[in-house]
Amino acid sequence: MSTKTEVRPVRIVLAKVGLDGHDRGVKVVARALRDAGYEVIYTGLRQTPEMVVDAALQEDAQVIGLSIHSGAHMTLFPAVVQELKRRKATDIVVFGGGIIPDDDIAALKQHGVAELFTPGTPLQGIVDWLRKRFPEGAR
Amino acid sequence: MRLVVDSIEYCAKEVPKWNTISISGYHIREAGSTAAQELAFTLADGMAYVDACLERGMRIDDFASRLSFFFDAHIDFFEEIAKFRAARRIWARWMRERYGAQDERSWKLRFHTQTAGVSLTAQQPELNIARTAIEALAAVLGGTQSLHTNAMDEVLALPTDKAARLALRTQQLLAYETGVANTIDPLGGSYFVEALTDEMERQAEAYFKRIEDLGGVIPAIEVGFFQKEIADASFRYQQELEQKRRLVVGVNEFTVDEEEPIDILRIDPKLETEQVARVRDVRARRDQARCSNALAQLRKAAAGTDNLMPYILEAVRAYATEGEIMNAMVEVFGIYTERAVI
Repeated sequence: MSTKTEVRPVRIVLAKVGLDGHDRGVKVVARALRDAGYEVIYTGLRQTPEMVVDAALQEDAQVIGLSIHSGAHMTLFPAVVQELKRRKATDIVVFGGGIIPDDDIAALKQHGVAELFTPGTPLQGIVDWLRKRFPEGAR
Repeated sequence: MRLVVDSIEYCAKEVPKWNTISISGYHIREAGSTAAQELAFTLADGMAYVDACLERGMRIDDFASRLSFFFDAHIDFFEEIAKFRAARRIWARWMRERYGAQDERSWKLRFHTQTAGVSLTAQQPELNIARTAIEALAAVLGGTQSLHTNAMDEVLALPTDKAARLALRTQQLLAYETGVANTIDPLGGSYFVEALTDEMERQAEAYFKRIEDLGGVIPAIEVGFFQKEIADASFRYQQELEQKRRLVVGVNEFTVDEEEPIDILRIDPKLETEQVARVRDVRARRDQARCSNALAQLRKAAAGTDNLMPYILEAVRAYATEGEIMNAMVEVFGIYTERAVI
């Protein structure tokens, strides 16, 4: 019998926050991450920061991936990080993607968003980043 | 569906020259569908609206001529032209043969076109001016009635004045310099375009059959058919990019090491506070009794079978906000929750 600790796949909640129907990217990312061996839960459109954090806690996710194309990232991304703080769940890693001007990226990272992927990012780039961040799966 | 039929029924009587609805394929295409899917799903939606109006007891020639469509113009030039031509052919045939429309105007599929936001790139964004011009040309050659050209910087933010003006000038250049709008269906008879149009039509008919087998458009939405078809197409497209089986200039080929940043529009956050203040001001100054009464009447009508348009219009005249009007109906109808299909 093996005594190896069981490695469970990293679980990721992907969400569209706010009033934003542009879900082509997030759906493609969801499939790519699933194909790469991650457990992916996609929330669907028009989620509030509270709903996203609820989903992540209920699903026992290690990662939240936020997709945004509405221009409201400077409001909504920090709101998700704040909500995680309020719920004492800061171990959950938040990353994001979408139309985010370069100038905003540094500011969002300061707010606690771990990484941001902008248009043209190869899917493998996101997978590589997750592999680096969670080299041993979800413990 | 009820609100759509209510609008069409109301306008047929009260605002007969109004284009009652814009039946859209744009969002379908931008969500990642193929050209054939955009064509088929949009027309299937259109026919579902027509069926619902007929079920209400309206006569086809009383409303069909005021329906309008809204398509995407993507980057595959001839495929797009074939798509527009196929749309017009299919609609005319269905209107005549299936619905028995007598008025020639009912046979005409009139459409607006917007160039494909999804085809634009954040990399070397000036290239988007060329992409948009080519897409706009396809729309004109395909017979569009009106046109929206995207600005090159809309991949990054809302457009600057300069980028928006360039997009408008692109249309004006097409309209006034090139002569391409002078001839109706200038590619009719081209062996290639005709064959492609037939192929588009064939693919659309195959989809109509599948939708019918599922019980129609609404049951097909409920089982996630459209969503799944679109998501599959979108993923295939992305994989073609990743594997370089499809090239996008500046993204997966012909890239530059250092992108030159361009100026983008920044929206002052003050705009939001100002707008909030304006809405508050309207709410404070309106005739509250008239407004609450209008909303109460709307709720009551929503629970019954009356046409809701007069009730909605009275609420608007009483300065109810869009949110309030919508919420009044939400109380009766509930909220549709999307089944997330990936």
